[in-house]
Amino acid sequence: MNELKELSIVGKRIPKLDAAKKAMGRAEYIQDIKLPGMVYGKILYSKYAHANIVKIDTSRAKALPGVLCILTGDDVPKKMKMGFYKDNPPLKKGKVCSFRDEVAAVAATTPEIAKKALDMIEIQYEELPGIFDPEKAMQPDSPLVHDYHKTNVLNLPWKLHYGDVEKAEKESAFVVEERFTTQWVTHCCLGTSGAIALFDSNNNLTIHTNTQIPSLAQKDFLESLKAMGIENKRVRVIKPIIGGGFGSKLDSYAYEHVAILLAHACRRPVKIQFDRVEEFKATSTRQPTIIYIKQGCDKNGKLTFRDMRMVLDNGAYTSWGATTPSVMMMPITSLYRVENVRYEAKCVYTNNTYSQAFRGYGNPQATFAIESTLDMLAEKAGIDRVQIRRLNRNQPGDVTPQGFKISSCGLSECIDAVEKEMVINGPKEKGIGYGIASLIHVGGGARIYKSDGCGAILKMDDYGKVDIFTGGTDMGQGMDNITAQIVAEELGLLVEDINVVHSDTDVCPWDVGAHASRSTFVAGNAALGAAKKVKAVILEEAAKTFGVSPDQIVMKARNIFVPGDAEKTMTIDKLLRKVHFSPQGKMLMADYFYDPDNENMGKDMKGNMSVTYAFGAHGVKVKVDEETGKVTVLDYVAAHDVGRAINPLLLEGQVYGGVLMGLGYALTEEVVVRDGKTMNANFRDYKLFTAKDAIKIKAPVVETYDEFGPFGAKGIGEPGCVPTAPAIANAVYDAVGVRITTLPITPEKVLAALMEKKKNH
Amino acid sequence: MRLPQFNYTGPDTLEKALDLLSAHAQDAKILAGGTDLLVRMKKGLIAPKFLISLKALNELSYIKKDKNAIRIGARTCLADIIASDLVQKEATALSTACEKVGSATIQHFRGTIGGNILQDNRCFHYNQSAFHRSGRQACHKDGGKICYARDESDRCNSTCQSDGATALMALGAKLVLVSKANERTVALTDFYTTDGIMPFAMEPQELLKEIVIPVEGGKSSYQRLAYRSAIDYPIVCAGVLLKASAKKDTIDDARIVVGAMGRSPLFLNQESSSLKGKLFTDTAAFQKAADSSMNSAATFAVHNVGATLEYRCAMVSEMVFRALQEAAAAASKA
Amino acid sequence: MTIINFKLNGDQIEYEIKDHWTLLHLLREEMGLIGTKEGCGNGECGACTVIVDKLAINSCLYLAVDADRKTIETIEGLASTDGKLHPLQQSFVDNGGIQCGFCSPGMIMSSKALLDSNPNASEEEVKHALAGNICRCTGYVQILESVEAAKKHMAGGGQS
Repeated sequence: MNELKELSIVGKRIPKLDAAKKAMGRAEYIQDIKLPGMVYGKILYSKYAHANIVKIDTSRAKALPGVLCILTGDDVPKKMKMGFYKDNPPLKKGKVCSFRDEVAAVAATTPEIAKKALDMIEIQYEELPGIFDPEKAMQPDSPLVHDYHKTNVLNLPWKLHYGDVEKAEKESAFVVEERFTTQWVTHCCLGTSGAIALFDSNNNLTIHTNTQIPSLAQKDFLESLKAMGIENKRVRVIKPIIGGGFGSKLDSYAYEHVAILLAHACRRPVKIQFDRVEEFKATSTRQPTIIYIKQGCDKNGKLTFRDMRMVLDNGAYTSWGATTPSVMMMPITSLYRVENVRYEAKCVYTNNTYSQAFRGYGNPQATFAIESTLDMLAEKAGIDRVQIRRLNRNQPGDVTPQGFKISSCGLSECIDAVEKEMVINGPKEKGIGYGIASLIHVGGGARIYKSDGCGAILKMDDYGKVDIFTGGTDMGQGMDNITAQIVAEELGLLVEDINVVHSDTDVCPWDVGAHASRSTFVAGNAALGAAKKVKAVILEEAAKTFGVSPDQIVMKARNIFVPGDAEKTMTIDKLLRKVHFSPQGKMLMADYFYDPDNENMGKDMKGNMSVTYAFGAHGVKVKVDEETGKVTVLDYVAAHDVGRAINPLLLEGQVYGGVLMGLGYALTEEVVVRDGKTMNANFRDYKLFTAKDAIKIKAPVVETYDEFGPFGAKGIGEPGCVPTAPAIANAVYDAVGVRITTLPITPEKVLAALMEKKKNH
Repeated sequence: MRLPQFNYTGPDTLEKALDLLSAHAQDAKILAGGTDLLVRMKKGLIAPKFLISLKALNELSYIKKDKNAIRIGARTCLADIIASDLVQKEATALSTACEKVGSATIQHFRGTIGGNILQDNRCFHYNQSAFHRSGRQACHKDGGKICYARDESDRCNSTCQSDGATALMALGAKLVLVSKANERTVALTDFYTTDGIMPFAMEPQELLKEIVIPVEGGKSSYQRLAYRSAIDYPIVCAGVLLKASAKKDTIDDARIVVGAMGRSPLFLNQESSSLKGKLFTDTAAFQKAADSSMNSAATFAVHNVGATLEYRCAMVSEMVFRALQEAAAAASKA
Repeated sequence: MTIINFKLNGDQIEYEIKDHWTLLHLLREEMGLIGTKEGCGNGECGACTVIVDKLAINSCLYLAVDADRKTIETIEGLASTDGKLHPLQQSFVDNGGIQCGFCSPGMIMSSKALLDSNPNASEEEVKHALAGNICRCTGYVQILESVEAAKKHMAGGGQS
């Protein structure tokens, strides 16, 4: 394809721009920032999952030398609420509804004094019966988590029905039905959460905080200020380098609002820095699910319908976890061609922890059920597992029942790529099995919010250097590189000529945030738009100088020239100076706001959520130890349709990291919650894979060139962890004939299933 | 995360260390590698006033062989044990066990064999942050009167997850304990109380000086099950020692030990005896002993590790069986 | 208060410390060497790995007082004074071994301790040496590639 021609900068394996700084230990994370006069805040959490707060006595703590300020729920303005349901005040008053409920906060001159002061706050509770099972919480006689809400079931619109599922089921040759559950897992960012809030003399707020959404966080904090009675002031959000995001920082957290309250109360910069236990207990998890699914096909294996119902444990408060059904709908309606689809999800309050966004945003949960039952269906229908996927695959030009317009689609090529590396249906030894699963994900932004835009401001200096101020956020994934490579490519410069400034709301334009695998596509297009505007001016000026028309001029490797004419060439910086230092001179600057041409979902949940969609297929070979039930991954192929690889090095990094995260989800990771209490709040008991567990992952890249993407690219941030769990579950079934329907697939579950199977034979 | 305050001393002779221990016995803790002790201090599980560091006590770091025993100084690093050909050959189970501990950075270079044996018993409900524990009644080990691992239990049911101790007990190891006034040798099997609060039958002024492993020509194996390859405690583990008869084809003596189930590693006398006189190829006898081990160990199973009891019990059998097979294979090759 | 003397990245240092300080606290909070990170504080993640007398250790579980008379290397001491990266650092940069970067200093120090003592470490030995260093971004693939490439480079006389 002509569009995939070799380029100078785009497509190159350029190391991450800030890697050297990080390799030298010179990158500053929130942990490393100390401001003059800074004091330390700490939060006291609830001792109960559900209790009335009868009395709080802070007098002893207040008397402790070094304590500057103590706040309780009484000190929080009534309208200061967090989350999209606005049901979560940063400090609770009257009642606690989960163990992570914040009940008091202290600012003190040292972290030790702050901690000591927390221990001296006396709280009298009156314990209430808790409810921890979302299906039980839906019963009319269940205790209420929030009395004012009248029911534990949230009023959310997660419901769709396209075609006629009942009719299609009747007409299906084969139908399978199953119940799946997925667990709490958590992001485990190596750098724990933290924020520093400070007010200037005019009551303007600056907050340094670990966030993936500087602009939306700014809005949240402005609302908090307004609730505090501080109106028409400025909020500056600065995100330092962060030790991982993965979706965990898509909402503002209580600690950020508490830091603001404390900073305002004691007129000092206040830092709240989580330790690892807090990170496990007081930040949010991936949304757990209970999934009921039915899928059917005709006698040839063509999918006829898909019927899914989910119950989501919302926890005690509502953050983005409760909106994950909006993305679950995507694989449910649009992974493979299926005309008749029904889906309903209920989010239910419990006294458990509440969930947040997490890489994949609901997609891994839904795909686990869909792809597991697809294998069951193939078996029932007597059709080859790969064949059923090929038969039903999405294709370019499709419009799915939910109204997604599939522009480019490399699903077929991805399945080819998996099969090239791995014989899914080949002969195998005892205990060895192969699994395959596919994915669809947003690849061209995702219109969840009213705007899906990103701004970019670009300026060039007299020396051929560029500063680009982007709304995009880098959290280690490489938004900075993608921006720099796109700009350098467009302007004929080198990557080192581009300085990417991001994550500071005082200088960077608006952006909806680093989520939905959208940075390459949306921030990339914003940067490209700004670069094109500047380029047009440069070409116009060069055209005057060279006496040719702009379309005859090329910019490359810091030079601007007319090909084939040795006379008409100069360095770009020289041209810039010429343009600047002439009568009526010009500095080259441009801004661009890119808002993708995608649609919010309508009442019927229809709408083209993303400009383009990413596809992929994963294949895995496992060995199951039939005596211990332990599953070992022997080989893994993760093929992805990425449109075009802007930077293959970083792209592979996203895939490898996503896959291992997905393997943890499939096999070992689980936040163990007992009666609302997190039992494994440490890295020893929360089983992340170690380097010793690492596997070689093959990551073939399928380039389809998407016409809307910057240089043809689509997003790749999340897909790596989407189909891993079902691929593993399918491989385990292939190996030993047991179908595990609850994640994670622990040795004990596999062994129990094997025993059960033996009993029944 | 900071440590609570304490006073530090780093005696450079054993004598000085014992003097200090004698003077501060009730308020002092011995610091060897620190990978267990300092973590417990950070979690607020203990707050000793004095730490007596063995850092400078090089005289307790050695691996040597005399007549019929390997002698290992208590402060010897796990890394040194792993690197020892002598241990690898004559006490294979210990070598394997040390390799499985934690990870290179933490345990191999810092963890000591003495510290590994003397690591405190653990429980899913007890080894938690101070804040986690503060929101409930204290358990036995935390100074209270209840047990979260076993309902109605009148004592602490925390478990010994030491890889080293399980292997050493299988090897028939003895410990040399010294105090200012006394030195005594105790078989590892007799070293444990039946209480998880203070699992070791050891006086506060006593120091573990040496581990003595008899070498009588047996072959040993250590097997453990964990969810991942590093930074993990065993869910279940087993150590086995098999000694050949003069004719080399039958078992003259066997020792089967199961770890991470009880308050101490469990030496299973009856199951061990059952193998006497059996052929090294008698896998049916191994399976029988393994299944019987499961039944014996099952009585100790409580909810103190994050895995189901059914699974851990089933795995006792599997780990013992695997250890027996491996040791038998080694013995028949020898 | 105790006074300790130790060698830090080639410089002889004398420092007055408190007994209960960890080496991590001394480096980060007192001396301002922020390159060594705290990820968990309990020896479970390896972000705080430094080299003491040639061995990689978790500085969160190492008392500062025990640093007396020791030779300590931290991430800040790896690059040469003219800013040229150590081959391991360069390799992590070039091979995608760094994403968010929080584990990187510890990961690089563990790798250095290994390659200094065992320049021909096998893949298994590398995995073993890095098993105590948790990374959430990379899936370890490019980290292992980085160490492998650095190993080859250093063996080829490419020591900076």
